[in-house]
Amino acid sequence: MTRFLKLFIKELLSMFLLIIGVTALLFLLFNLMPGSFPGKGLGGAEYLKLLRRLFTFQFGTSIVSGRDINTIVFPAFRNTLILTIGSIFLSILISVPIGIFSAYRGFESYSWPFVIFSYIMSSIPVFYLGYLVIYAVSRYTGYLPIYYPYGSERGNPLISYVLPVLVLGFGNESISEIVRLIANELKRVMNTDYVVASKARGESVLRSSINEGILIPLISIIFSKIPFLIGGAVIVEHVFNWPGMGRLAFQSTLNRDLPVLIVIAFLAVLCVRSGMLLKELILYYFRPGEK
Amino acid sequence: MKRFYYEKERINIEGFHVPLSKRASVRDVVSVGFGLFVVFYLFVFFVISVTNTFIKDPMQVEISKMFLSPSFEHIFGTDFLGRDIFLRIVKGTEAFFIPGIISVTISTTFGLLFGIISAYYPRYFSKIIFYFLNIIDSIPRLIFILIIIVLFNPSIYLIMTFVGISSIPKVSSYIKSKVELLKKQQFIEACKELGLSQVNIIFKHIVWLSSKSVLIIQATLGMGESILIETSLSYLGIGVQEPIPSWGNMVSMGKDFFFQGKIWLSTIPALVILVTIMGLYLLGDGLNSIYSEKVSR
Repeated sequence: MTRFLKLFIKELLSMFLLIIGVTALLFLLFNLMPGSFPGKGLGGAEYLKLLRRLFTFQFGTSIVSGRDINTIVFPAFRNTLILTIGSIFLSILISVPIGIFSAYRGFESYSWPFVIFSYIMSSIPVFYLGYLVIYAVSRYTGYLPIYYPYGSERGNPLISYVLPVLVLGFGNESISEIVRLIANELKRVMNTDYVVASKARGESVLRSSINEGILIPLISIIFSKIPFLIGGAVIVEHVFNWPGMGRLAFQSTLNRDLPVLIVIAFLAVLCVRSGMLLKELILYYFRPGEK
Repeated sequence: MKRFYYEKERINIEGFHVPLSKRASVRDVVSVGFGLFVVFYLFVFFVISVTNTFIKDPMQVEISKMFLSPSFEHIFGTDFLGRDIFLRIVKGTEAFFIPGIISVTISTTFGLLFGIISAYYPRYFSKIIFYFLNIIDSIPRLIFILIIIVLFNPSIYLIMTFVGISSIPKVSSYIKSKVELLKKQQFIEACKELGLSQVNIIFKHIVWLSSKSVLIIQATLGMGESILIETSLSYLGIGVQEPIPSWGNMVSMGKDFFFQGKIWLSTIPALVILVTIMGLYLLGDGLNSIYSEKVSR
């Protein structure tokens, strides 16, 4: 337990240091920009002001709409979180069985089409996939809503989550990487001595290699894919007109609304780093002996 | 008993003894062949578009030939201004070829440098370098690009430079783990005992002879990623601008006619993107499984 606490505090400290570093980098970049905007200015005092605003979650006002940034960002953040987590689960559901199937010896020719499918899914442009799905669904079925019902009572928002989650879950670039990693790791683990010994005892090969062969690589890749998912969410939210953080980032890019953009970057970095923290803790749970 | 040990030794060092031709399976050969085909046609398209040896100008507007479906005269059909889609695809390689190569060069050279330094000096240099690399790694790439576009101008060269910078952490962590493995191998110790200089050992025996496969794989993956990023930026309207063709540009302009049933306008460029990126990924994957040491039992 003390070791766990030690690890937790160490990781928390490094996360805090990294977030400080990221905000410093963003501040430096903003000061390199030609021209001026509210809140710009070199010097430690300005930077400390920015840090205080960010860490107390009092983000100030947007320079374009004049609204409080908290009321804009947090609903968008919630929507993006739902989209991202749902698509991560969908990606795992698709890619893990393919990876397991292609790790077995003698099944190579049967699993090859599935592996090719995973490659196709990770190399198709996400927005093209989105338009294809919208075209097919709206033209031939008409069951699923293709947009998010803003403020109106008509339509269930839960059903409108289905299509974006489906598109982002299939179309993010991580499916082929997960398949490749799990196939390689499982193939390696299935040939280690302890798995062969358990096979000789009559136990299932998959069951005895599930910890080292599937769970550990899966956890270590899933949490490091969060930045890419947030990037993909920008595109998918633009296709489905989804009121999330990515679309907000794009709009504030077009409006040159830097205070909103720095808040979005901060929240994204917070997401990424807390994902990494979670990854370290879960990996500690799965292999407490190492380190 | 003695023979058993001998065979075990051979299995462990198989990666160095079995010739490449025997290590590759049919699947690897097919994927590498497909990838090489993709690289070949990319190169040919690029040469054609740079030297401007077109049969017909790809920018020429012909209103009378709008929305022609694929035929012998126009292999991929014509778009909403009557321009030939095949010629525009050939011309569109110019939009990402040089920027993609710039980004791949940046990511591999700096990744190699930082990886080697942090593997050789694990106490202080490694921690400092990986602190900065983690900073770059934790900003989502597309949001980083959006910030760059706000701050500076949306030129594709600048964007691809930053894409290259943002993929340094991945490459250098791969290189670091590879070099850390190699450092303990016997042949490196033998090199040291023979009195070779440190620079010679690092650049000849570690980089060139043992980890160039990692670099090639990362380069192919990086090229595929840069095509995808160009595509998504062109979709958002901040990449290459319209009269100049690029693949993402063509897909995103064609999507406006999607619901009129003219699906080939965006489908054909999307298919070209798909085949190209899949070829590059398969090339990397095939090379990876050929070069990696096989576990045999």
